[in-house]
Amino acid sequence: MRMLKNIILPVLVVLLVDPLLFAQNATHDLILNPGYFNNNNQVQYLKVNTKAKIDGKFKPVAGIPVSFYISADAPANLLGKAVSDRNGEAVLFIPPAAKDAWNRSSKQSFFVVSAATGLYKSTSSDLDITKSKIKIDTIAGKKIIATLQELRDSVWVPVKGADIKVAIKRLNADLNVNETPAYTTDSLGTVAADFQRDSLPGDARGNITLIAKVEDNDAYGNITAELTVPWGVPGIYASDFNRRTLFARRGLAPVWLEITSFSIFFVVWIVLLYLIVQIWKLKKLGTQAAE
Amino acid sequence: MENLAKNEIIKDLLPRKFNATGKLWIGVLLSLCVVGLIAYTRQLSKGLVVTSMRDYVSWGIYISNFVFFVAISLVGSLITAILRLTDVHWSTPLTRIAEIIAVSAITFAAIIIVVDMGRPDRFYNLFFHGRLQSPIIWDVIVITTYFFISILLLYFPLLPDCMLLLKNEKKLGKRPNKLYKFLGSFWRNTPAQIKINECAINILVITIIPVAFSIHTVTSWLFATTYRPGWDSTNFGAYFVSGAFLVGAGGVLMAMYAFRKSYKLEKYITELHFDKMGKIVVMLALVYLYFNINEFLVPAFKMKKPDQEHLMGLFAGDFAPLFWFAIITSMFLPVLILVFKKGRKPLPAFIAGCLVVIGSWIKRYVIVTPTLLHPFLPMRDVPPSYRHYFPSWEEWAIAMGSLAGMMLIITVFARLFPIIPIQETITEIEQHENA
Repeated sequence: MRMLKNIILPVLVVLLVDPLLFAQNATHDLILNPGYFNNNNQVQYLKVNTKAKIDGKFKPVAGIPVSFYISADAPANLLGKAVSDRNGEAVLFIPPAAKDAWNRSSKQSFFVVSAATGLYKSTSSDLDITKSKIKIDTIAGKKIIATLQELRDSVWVPVKGADIKVAIKRLNADLNVNETPAYTTDSLGTVAADFQRDSLPGDARGNITLIAKVEDNDAYGNITAELTVPWGVPGIYASDFNRRTLFARRGLAPVWLEITSFSIFFVVWIVLLYLIVQIWKLKKLGTQAAE
Repeated sequence: MENLAKNEIIKDLLPRKFNATGKLWIGVLLSLCVVGLIAYTRQLSKGLVVTSMRDYVSWGIYISNFVFFVAISLVGSLITAILRLTDVHWSTPLTRIAEIIAVSAITFAAIIIVVDMGRPDRFYNLFFHGRLQSPIIWDVIVITTYFFISILLLYFPLLPDCMLLLKNEKKLGKRPNKLYKFLGSFWRNTPAQIKINECAINILVITIIPVAFSIHTVTSWLFATTYRPGWDSTNFGAYFVSGAFLVGAGGVLMAMYAFRKSYKLEKYITELHFDKMGKIVVMLALVYLYFNINEFLVPAFKMKKPDQEHLMGLFAGDFAPLFWFAIITSMFLPVLILVFKKGRKPLPAFIAGCLVVIGSWIKRYVIVTPTLLHPFLPMRDVPPSYRHYFPSWEEWAIAMGSLAGMMLIITVFARLFPIIPIQETITEIEQHENA
């Protein structure tokens, strides 16, 4: 009996509990999707989308530490580290220290590695890009010309057969300049788009921003170029702040409301004051009657 | 009542000292007020966090209570003004009861609004920096005005009685006598005084009707001018006013019975009064039922998505027990009791009045809170306490304390002043005899 209590039972408990512990420690596969971005010739950055299959669906994973490398997956080539946010995105701007590595070749490789966490295994991915740039310009007749070039042996050469979107930059999303959303570059690496949004509101001077962009390209990543042109309608902001409205601030009620409400208020309170005067009269009459 | 002698009327209607039951009643009310004050002290020191109100339900039991107080205060205009203007004489013994209910209710309506404010020290901003476009300012103006009119309407008919009270100093004591002297020592019952007094009362009863309608219409606009499911209604003004008359009339039925019993006023508040008031309550309950049908049937017929959530919550969801309880107790049961002659006897009428008042209080809660729990944009990433509302003990204590406070004012008033106008009763009997 003592043997059962001291040895067999604890062993049984360990055997039963152990699989549960293992089950809790089971790790999932993580997918890293790196992308390269160069917006309007500003500082380039890398963005990694992390996702994993949870309950049969791919969902973004937050809190994954990701290391970014240039040229090779080695500590000496580390660009930096970032942690994925609630959308599963980890972003790293390419630091100036990486200038030499960046200039070494017209093609560049990036490596991203995620460290193992309690729930996810360590995983890695890589990205190869060819250095490229977009030029955007306009010609007479409100025509937009965009040219895509890639760096080949230190020379910028036109790219043929790539898709370029030409649009107008708005607050939350881009608006096509006409009904065609994307164009394919010719042998000169050029696309031409007609501007057909004549009455588009611009800033106070009528300026709008044109944008040409290559998106999710296997060779070039995501690159954009912008150009400001005075093709919009000047947007004159008419402030309602000092106008008399129902939604205005204190002291700016509509005149009709002020007249109506003050009239009612004064009529009623004049009646009440009249009645208070009557009390005083009653007092006076009472005093006279007493005398 | 016609055969009563003048001295007998004065003797019957003069205020009396509290008996043991009266003292116990005062004790209970005072205790509730003290508990309410303690809870309010906690709220003042710790802030509104002691309540269950959070980001979504920012108007809870306090505002429900406020709407209830404003509603019940309308009875002053119903009994005193409307019945007087229509030359209904049977209501004379009930006018002062109605007026003191109106004054005490409107006083606590103002107090409970201050209680609902997180920073009561900033209350003066409403007067000095108010925004005329806001219905809240209209409410502040109209409540203040209604309060003064109700005070005057209580005061002017009291003046002739003050003379009678001063003549009975020995019976009533020295301290109350000082109060009577302050209020009406100048009253000599001269024809000139009587004429001015009657004229003042007539002006008041005409003035109070539009102000009374405004007060509850503006209170309804606090809700209806807000774009929310359940409040976005053009029916709200009439819906609130009809509900207010109902709860006011129910309150008068309760008070009539209580005063009749405790002050032995069977000769003055007769079964005829219960019969007449019972019929008025039936009519008002049916009118209120009509507005309720309008208020719920039309949106339920269209069932727009946001309205659907709100309405289903009321009809068959979390708020269904309260909603149906309010509808049944404030409208159906009182009608069922009072529609029969036997139901308009004092005790059943009192029970019907209690049902109306209790049901109407819950109805205000059902109007205020469920809408706030059904915003147009779904609640996301909020603590669980934001998704539900049940008042904290501090809120209950303050709300019950305020109701007790209202009843305390009425009780103390009845201790100091005749709850049935003495001089008016005598004059009416004399006129009747002369006729």
